[in-house]
Amino acid sequence: MSFLEVKNLVKTFGSTEVLKGINLNLAEGKFLVLVGPSGCGKSTLLNLIAGLNNITAGEILINDKVVNNIHPGKRNIAMVFQSYALYPNMTVGKNISFGLEIRKVSKEQVQVKTLEVAKMLQIDHLLDRKPAQLSGGQRQRVAMGRALVRDPDLFLFDEPLSNLDAKLRVDMRTEIKKLHQTLKATIVYVTHDQIEALTLADYVAVMYGGEIQQFGSPHDIYNQPDNLFVANFMGSPSMNFIDGTIQKDANNLIIVIKENGRTIQLPITLPNTAIGNYVDKKVILGLRPEGINLFRDDSDDEKMGVDCKIEVIEPTGADTYAVLSFNNEEILARMRPERAIDLKETEKFTFNMNKAVFFDPETEQRIG
Amino acid sequence: MTNEESELLYTNPYWRILIYGALIFAALLFLLPLYVMFTTSFKTLSEIRLGNMLSLPQAFTIQPWIDAWGEACIGLTCKGISGYFKNSILMVVPAVAISTILGAFNGYILTKWTFPGHKLVFGLMLFGCFIPFQVVLIPSALILGKMGIANSVFGLIFIHVTYGIGFTTLFFRNYYYVFPTELIKAAMIDGAGFFRIFFRILLPSSGPIIVVTVIWQFTNIWNDFLFGVSFTSGAQVPITVALNNLANSSTGVKEYNVHMAAAILAAAPTLIVYILAGKYFVRGLMAGSIKG
Ligand SMILES: Nc1ncnc2c1ncn2[C@@H]1O[C@H](COP(=O)(O)OP(=O)(O)O)[C@@H](O)[C@H]1O
Ligand SMILES: [Mg+2]
Repeated sequence: MSFLEVKNLVKTFGSTEVLKGINLNLAEGKFLVLVGPSGCGKSTLLNLIAGLNNITAGEILINDKVVNNIHPGKRNIAMVFQSYALYPNMTVGKNISFGLEIRKVSKEQVQVKTLEVAKMLQIDHLLDRKPAQLSGGQRQRVAMGRALVRDPDLFLFDEPLSNLDAKLRVDMRTEIKKLHQTLKATIVYVTHDQIEALTLADYVAVMYGGEIQQFGSPHDIYNQPDNLFVANFMGSPSMNFIDGTIQKDANNLIIVIKENGRTIQLPITLPNTAIGNYVDKKVILGLRPEGINLFRDDSDDEKMGVDCKIEVIEPTGADTYAVLSFNNEEILARMRPERAIDLKETEKFTFNMNKAVFFDPETEQRIG
Repeated sequence: MTNEESELLYTNPYWRILIYGALIFAALLFLLPLYVMFTTSFKTLSEIRLGNMLSLPQAFTIQPWIDAWGEACIGLTCKGISGYFKNSILMVVPAVAISTILGAFNGYILTKWTFPGHKLVFGLMLFGCFIPFQVVLIPSALILGKMGIANSVFGLIFIHVTYGIGFTTLFFRNYYYVFPTELIKAAMIDGAGFFRIFFRILLPSSGPIIVVTVIWQFTNIWNDFLFGVSFTSGAQVPITVALNNLANSSTGVKEYNVHMAAAILAAAPTLIVYILAGKYFVRGLMAGSIKG
């Protein structure tokens, strides 16, 4: 049963259509991440779910109840904002308890709950401070506390970590994930950071241009991107795209790639019937950096080996990337650091076709 | 840069002496009339007739102040300016309070609860700030007459509130314009409504702009002469008009010492307000221009 349901949601500001028919379903207790580049309409969608803006067309249901015309304060939701939006004139304690106070919860109850949440977030020693006296990380916790204390049906997060420095961001990310696991809360979380999306989510909705490009598990989004946009946006470093033509070789399908005067043939190994319709047609081969590795003589398939010119080696610590020149463009290969020693100018790389995806260059959709 | 820690840029010491010299000279020049007013108000009439304006009082007396406050004749009544001072207080306090509250609400609505056409409304209100007083005199008189509050302190309050709303709205709108809207959203989700958001979230953060508005409105309304002289007469006039009447109505000798004392009394409230809250005034004016 879906707990949050968004049906054909449209939002226009003046004459610009910011959301162009959004459909979403989220079951109770699940963590949904809306991810997409800046300006794609994520915050707008979240604000509509919260009831902070009027809906142009469509419906939003929470717990099977249409909430289109229900005041944000009556939807039993909580929201954490990018700027934290702490009330500057109130102490941390008041900030956390403001919502309870309005809901006429008894004084003792307010105190008990505020303290409980503050302890959980380790900010109980800050309850008498004003927001201006807190560090960024502490403010972030207060903002979370304000959301948690009300025990809402639905949590909305709008880029809650993007104002924190890198190290703190990773720590808080883990903490949010832990919180979700303990509280079993239903969460809609907005971010433009695709790593955050993949780490946190039960489901990811990739947005672009006011539309949901793909909805799915992080695994599906990463490994089976529906279109070129999703493939390109999700994953860092991003996927390599190589133009080629599908051909039939005896009974097998191959992709033929022209590279600087030579012709490379790679087998198509995935059981993919749809690609059969593309014989003699152009396709785009998508292969993530981890799908291109240094060739191992003992184990790798000779058919997938391609000699490539190495332009630059980029060590990042855990992995080392090789920038390869391919049709005067750059593609990225990943290797283990200990293998990236004494490399010649040209090396043989395995193009692991078991990890390949194909796209139609016209529609930009994934084939199959 | 805050005013407490302002750093002086390097300047040549000789230049600095010159600059300070010029500034001190100018300050003295501007203070001279005040000095003359004060000294004259403590002199006897006979001493004033000697004509030595800049000298200190020879026979110090506070009788002119007593006269100005309670005895001097204005028109046919000889009860000093105290009654008119009271008129002005009764006018200025409600007028400032009402126009400030309305301005705050207008600013709140025009920035955080916008409606189609809010820009036009604001534009028209701004326009109202710059209409010359003279243009509105006759229509105002007609309206006050129709409302039955002509020649009363209520009439003046009404006019000053109406005329002041443009300015107070401008002040509060610009202040609230940079007030983070996410705070309003957070409060809405917390369950707060229109008034609670205003009184619990916005107003507690509005100190600087309230000070600016109150000083501005207080000074303007207290010092107003034209509306006072146009819409009231006799015992109803505010202090500014009474002061004028005092200076013009004395038959026979002009009691300059009494006039000076009355003038200082009439100017005192605005001076006090400015001295007490002046630094917040400057700070408040700056606050709108700095984000946060
Ligand atoms: N109140 C508004 N009036 C007009 N346009 C808006 C308003 N709010 C957002 N937009 C526009 O809608 C688009 C989506 O904005 P937003 O939802 O904030 O994007 P995101 O959160 O994904 O970065 C942007 O192009 C933005 O300019
Ligand atoms: Mg946003």
